[in-house]
Amino acid sequence: MTKLKRILASKTTVTLVWVVGVMAIWEVFAFIVAATKRTPINVLPHVWQIVESFFSDKAVTGKMTMAQLIATSCGETLSRAAIGFLIGTVLGYLLALLMNMSGIVEKIAFPYLMIIQMIPILGMAPIILAITGDIDSSRMVIAAILTFYPVSTNTLAGFKAVEKEKHELMYSYAATGFQRYIKTYIPFSIPYFFTGLKISAPMAITASILVDTLQGGNGLGCMLSQSLKGGMTRLVFWDIVVISAIIGILSYYLMGLIEKLICPYKRRGQEVIL
Amino acid sequence: MAEEIRKETAREKDVEIMLDNVGMVYKTTDGKDVTALTGVSFDIHKGEFISLLGPSGCGKTTLLRIIADLITPTSGNVLIGGETPRQARLKKRYAMVFQSAVLYDWRTVRKNVMLPLEIMKVPKKERIERADKMLKLVGLSDFADHYPRQLSGGMQQRVGIARALAIRPEILLMDEPFSALDEFTREKLHDDLLRIWRKTNKTVIFVTHNIQESVFLSDRVCVLSPHPGRLSAVVDIDLPRPRTMDIKDTPEFTALVAKVRNSFEGV
Repeated sequence: MTKLKRILASKTTVTLVWVVGVMAIWEVFAFIVAATKRTPINVLPHVWQIVESFFSDKAVTGKMTMAQLIATSCGETLSRAAIGFLIGTVLGYLLALLMNMSGIVEKIAFPYLMIIQMIPILGMAPIILAITGDIDSSRMVIAAILTFYPVSTNTLAGFKAVEKEKHELMYSYAATGFQRYIKTYIPFSIPYFFTGLKISAPMAITASILVDTLQGGNGLGCMLSQSLKGGMTRLVFWDIVVISAIIGILSYYLMGLIEKLICPYKRRGQEVIL
Repeated sequence: MAEEIRKETAREKDVEIMLDNVGMVYKTTDGKDVTALTGVSFDIHKGEFISLLGPSGCGKTTLLRIIADLITPTSGNVLIGGETPRQARLKKRYAMVFQSAVLYDWRTVRKNVMLPLEIMKVPKKERIERADKMLKLVGLSDFADHYPRQLSGGMQQRVGIARALAIRPEILLMDEPFSALDEFTREKLHDDLLRIWRKTNKTVIFVTHNIQESVFLSDRVCVLSPHPGRLSAVVDIDLPRPRTMDIKDTPEFTALVAKVRNSFEGV
């Protein structure tokens, strides 16, 4: 490959092309909107307007500037998402272990796991709210439910993917059931487990924001809906959209980073790039 | 009674593994019987290098798996040092080497060799010592801290051998260990295996479908024929030891290869 080709094919270049491309298309439409609509900011503001509003020190609500407002709302939404994500991860992992240990549990649980996934999350939210009676806990519960399924199924797939020879090896060493899990199943399935985490981390955040909008209080989703209803400038909405997209992507990369930290063997040599 | 007498004579002749009329019949899903192996009887002596040679479907791997207690024969008896395969397995009297190295890619080479020792609850200090000793034996001391994916196929297979030897088994069960390697690497590993075998005095049972390989390595070649899988001949390989690659060019070697080839039935 020539040097130019190598540079063009590199991951950074691809990412850069994407970012620039999306911004360019955005701007093209923003200009069209600005020329044709009466309140262009409601439809599609310019990228610089969004960036500018984020760093401006004008108060958008009460005494808070945009950056302060978003930072506090982020903290609230993300902490709920994180708690729900943790609960969902732990429960999902435990269920995967149980399904792997017992064929009966697998037969009973596995087909119905999918149903949870198929129920629209917003349809479920009012029911969960009615059960818990508290909007903050419902937000966590929903983040947990969404996390649960990808973690559980991916981890189980990891357990099932252990080669026959590894089982025979363990058998020839007369390993106990506990040793099989500690030495073979669990370390083997770590990359699968992280695939589940990478899917569910952005989902937990999205769910948390969505459920925020259902009722008042605080959090990104609440600010977002207030902004849409005209309670504060429409730019709050746009800033939150951009920020939450960035947070979602970062949460994915965070999972990848943690995976690389616990799996040193994935770091060296010719990497398998996800 | 007859078995008692056989056992007695077995002990005298230093028999390590005794196969007595071993047979294996599988049931297919539609209820038909398939005979994978029938009427296999022979003795393997302590420290002997035995090959189980045959085309696919001859039951050579089935036989190895019976000795390894991975499957139970439907007829006949297997005794390993006077014990059942299960007892022999629980006492770690044998170790297995598979066609692929079956390494744990999240463990370094040294930790791969230490794996069985961890399961046997050998103290950590001794684990490391034993692993390093085995890695020296297979010539991989410099790669102890590498990960398996950084090694070539031949090196990976050597880690597999080191791991098998680490539990200090009396018997090494090898299931086509070199069949996935290229010819050059395979010849190098033949040399290494013979050197290790001479040093450690293990009994080796080596499954292969390569006639040259079996003749070059073994004291005796057990020729298995398919449909149904059965032992059709046991050929003594009386070539001098230690053997080097040059022996493959001698007329004696060629004659033995021909003899082994001619003992197949119905292929």
